[in-house]
This record gives sequence, C-alpha cells and structure tokens, in this order.
Amino acid sequence: MENAIQVSGLRKAFDQQVAIEDVSFHVKKGEIFGLLGPSGSGKTTTIKILTGELEQTTGDVCVLDTDASSFDSTQFKSKIGILSDNSALYERLTVYDNLKLFCKLYGAPLERIDVILDDVNLKNDRNKVVSKLSKGMKQRILLAKALVHQPDLVFLDEPTSALDPGNVIHIHRGLQKLNEAGTTIFLTTHDMEEATKLCDRVAFLDNGTIQELGNPDELRFKYSSHDFHIETTTNEKFVLGNDSKNADQIRDLIAAGKVKSIQSDKPTLGDVFLKLTGKELV
Amino acid sequence: MNTQRIGAIFEKDLKEFRKNMMLLMMPVIPIFLAFMYSRMGEGELPIFLLYLIVGATYSAVTTSGMMTMMAEENEKKTLRGLIQSPASLADILIGKSLVVGLFTLVSLIISLAILGNDTFLAVQPIIGLILLFLFFLLLGIGIGLFTKSVANTSAYIMPVMFLFGFTPMIEFLNLGEDSIAIKIADYFPIMQMIDMHETNSWTAIGIVAIWVIAAAIFTFICLKKVSTDN
Ligand SMILES: Nc1ncnc2c1ncn2[C@@H]1O[C@H](COP(=O)(O)OP(=O)(O)O)[C@@H](O)[C@H]1O
Ligand SMILES: [Mg+2]
Repeated sequence: MENAIQVSGLRKAFDQQVAIEDVSFHVKKGEIFGLLGPSGSGKTTTIKILTGELEQTTGDVCVLDTDASSFDSTQFKSKIGILSDNSALYERLTVYDNLKLFCKLYGAPLERIDVILDDVNLKNDRNKVVSKLSKGMKQRILLAKALVHQPDLVFLDEPTSALDPGNVIHIHRGLQKLNEAGTTIFLTTHDMEEATKLCDRVAFLDNGTIQELGNPDELRFKYSSHDFHIETTTNEKFVLGNDSKNADQIRDLIAAGKVKSIQSDKPTLGDVFLKLTGKELV
Repeated sequence: MNTQRIGAIFEKDLKEFRKNMMLLMMPVIPIFLAFMYSRMGEGELPIFLLYLIVGATYSAVTTSGMMTMMAEENEKKTLRGLIQSPASLADILIGKSLVVGLFTLVSLIISLAILGNDTFLAVQPIIGLILLFLFFLLLGIGIGLFTKSVANTSAYIMPVMFLFGFTPMIEFLNLGEDSIAIKIADYFPIMQMIDMHETNSWTAIGIVAIWVIAAAIFTFICLKKVSTDN
C-alpha cells in the first residue's frame, strides 16, 4: 500500500471527556507528517492509538498494512519506533547499555549503536551513566533508542521540546537524513518553525478535531491575503492588494527608485493556526 | 517467548541489580541471619530456625526483589519502553525472574553453607524448596504488576514476610495449641515443609504445590487485570 498510516472516523472518549473526534487522515510512505496543536488537543492520544497503547472508541486505523487488532504483534512492533512524551531510560546504566538492551530486544546488530550515537551527536558520551546527563542529552538518547533498529516508521511525540536550539538543528538534520534513507516520520509538535522546516504535510489539531491539513507552504499561501507590503525610501509603509489595478502604482514606485522593500503577505503556520482557531500555539 | 529477548532483559536487570543498593542489601539479610545463628549455639539447629532463613531469603530476596524491580519499572516509566518493544510481558517477567532466581540461589547457598547444614540435601526438601521458590516468585510478580512506586513495596512486603516468610514465629505469640490461627498457619507452605522433615510425607509437598497453583492463579488474575486496564 502507498500509505504508511490510514485513519478514518477516529474517535477516542475517556470516562469524562472526548479527546479525539472524527479524525481522518493518511500518511504516505516516505513522508514526514506533522500533527500540530496546542497542549491538550489530542496529539499524544492519537499517537497512542496509532501505536497500540490505547484502543480507539470508534473508527478505523491501519498502520503499515496492519490492522489495529494486530498492533500487539512482534512483527508490527519491530517495524515501528516510538519516542513517547514521557519515555524514560535506565538511569543507573550507561548510554551504551541502554541502547544495547533495545538493540537486542529489536534484534538489531550492535554495530548500530555507534552509528546512531553519532547521528544524535553523543558518540563521546557512550560510556557515561545516564543519571549524570542533562535533559537534552537524555532526550537525544531516547531518540537514538527509537531509531536504533532502523524502523520503517517512527512516531515522535514532541521530539525537540526539551532541547536547546543547537541540538534542535542537529536533530532536525538527523531526522532529514533518516527520512532520505526511506523512514516515514510521524511527529507531533507545537513548534511551527520545526513543522514548516521538516514536514511534507501537517494537520492542525484543535479540541480533538482536524481543522486543516496540507503542505506547509501551500497552507501559508492559501491563508495569505496576497497583499504587498511596501516600504519606501522615505520610510512610508503601505499595503497594496495583489490586483492588476495596482500594477501601475507599484511599477511607478519601483521605476522612481522609491522602494526600500516589497513583501507579499505570507503568514507563518502559527498565524494560520491563529486564524483558524483563534488560539496561539504554545 | 524468545530466548534472545529474555537474555537481553536478564542482562539488563542483572546490571541494574548490581547497581541498586537497596536490592543488593536484600540477599545479605539471610546471610547475616545465618551468621548470627552459627554463633549462637552448639550442635544441630532446630529445623524451624533453618526455615526462618529460607523464609527470610524467599521473602526478602525473591518476592521483594521481584516487586522492587517491577515497581521501579512502573515508577520510572521504563516498563512502557519494554512493552512497546517486541518483548512480550512473558519475556520481561522471565528475564527478571532469572535474575531474582540467581540472587536467591546464591544467598540461600551461602546462608546454608555458613550453617554447615546438609538437611536440605535430599530429593524431597529440594523439590519442596523449588516449589516454595515458585510460590514466593509468583507472589512477587503478581503484586509487582500493581506496585506503582518503590516506596509502596514495603507496605506489601511486610504482610508477605510475616505471613509466609516467618510463619513459624507464630509459636512466640503464645496463642495456645487450640487457637484457630495456629491451626490455619499449620497449612502454610513453610509449616508444611517443616512438617515434611518430621514425617517424610509427600502430602506436605502436595500442599505446597497447591499453594503454588493458588499463587499462579493470583498472578494470572493480576496479569489479566493489568493487560485490560486501559
Ligand atoms: N488517560 C486519560 N484519561 C482521561 N483523559 C485523558 C487521558 N489522556 C488524555 N486525556 C485528555 O485528552 C485530551 C487530549 O490529551 P493529549 O492527547 O495528551 O493532548 P496533547 O498531547 O495534544 O497535549 C486532554 O484533554 C486530556 O486531558
Ligand atoms: Mg502530548
């Protein structure tokens, strides 16, 4: 099948509240797909359902040609990698011993450990005890843990939320490299820049329902006013619509050498989200 | 079940056990007790004192060790990573049981060697000791599945220790021969083992086996409950 993930009419209700309502989407093989939404919107719940940790109330879920009823199988589990929002490591053991455990559980060769440690920039820390490491380093080991067996599909629940900018760049590069090698990536984030940079497609989740779905650039274009923002050499600022009747005025300004800058309106994904839901993404 | 995965869990838990002061202290308790007894007096130790050592080993090392390991996996949220992996719950439990079994064996052998006692070197007592081990192990697994934090384990280990580990101590409560408590306690696994040494009867082994089956059912119910808790 073309799709790595196929979800339709998904609903999840807990005792007291509905977390997910009528969610449908698909993720193509080889894609980086981002699920974006503020805290409490249902991102983690969706990942838990897709990985078999939670059962949906209703709806159909198919991941890597596997029906939700078989998410418990060894075969399925060895094809996916998971970085949960509160995954944890064995604090008394070294970085290497932690990864060794998961290498063996997934049946991956131990040589993978050094390769993956290099990818997350922790090669020199392999023999350190985990309890001595910073939060950001632990997060990178967890990412290494999720990837050590070279899964076909990885689920990353807010992979960079605990990291400083330098590490984020490093992780992004690693994820892109992984994706180029063929791994499908499903990630959640509330970092709009991250989503714009990494994702082939994103879905906006708010109150458990999908508000919009598409390619980040296309969404930004779709929700643009298409106006031109012009600043003149005399520091005047004004806005002109993207309209043929304004063509002469713009041409004249440029011809007279009066334009300091000219920009077309292109909202960030955060702006688009705000427009759709009235909420800031934090 | 998969031997490679069981091996991976075993290796991991062995390393963790060796680095965990609280767990490492436990096998020392019976050895310390044995050392005290060996200083106490001349001649053969009464059987019930030997079984206090056995009970201490099984409750402090086997049950408590298993519970603590499971509780820690729950508390530190590491169990989730294992469950998400291809390892089955059986792989995880067996791997851990092997570690606990190893430490139990070492602790028991050293304790008994200190006492220089060969009472247990016969078929019946060895079968009994193995059954007894399974009983305490299954209790540890069953309770461990539900123990959410290491701090909670002591609340559970106390009753196990006093009911099943130190059952012979009931003598010192001065309840009188006819007391119902004593009559019931007589059927407890360790009391049956002591009985077996006097009578050489296989009935005692049978009763211990029934305790093992009961513990297995208890563990099975716990497993079912945990796996359907959603
Ligand atoms: N186990 C649970 N029991 C009850 N409610 C839950 C549970 N897990 C999540 N929820 C609720 O479902 C909603 C979505 O939560 P979650 O998926 O964690 O959101 P996000 O990951 O986007 O922050 C929240 O309102 C949360 O309170
Ligand atoms: Mg979340």
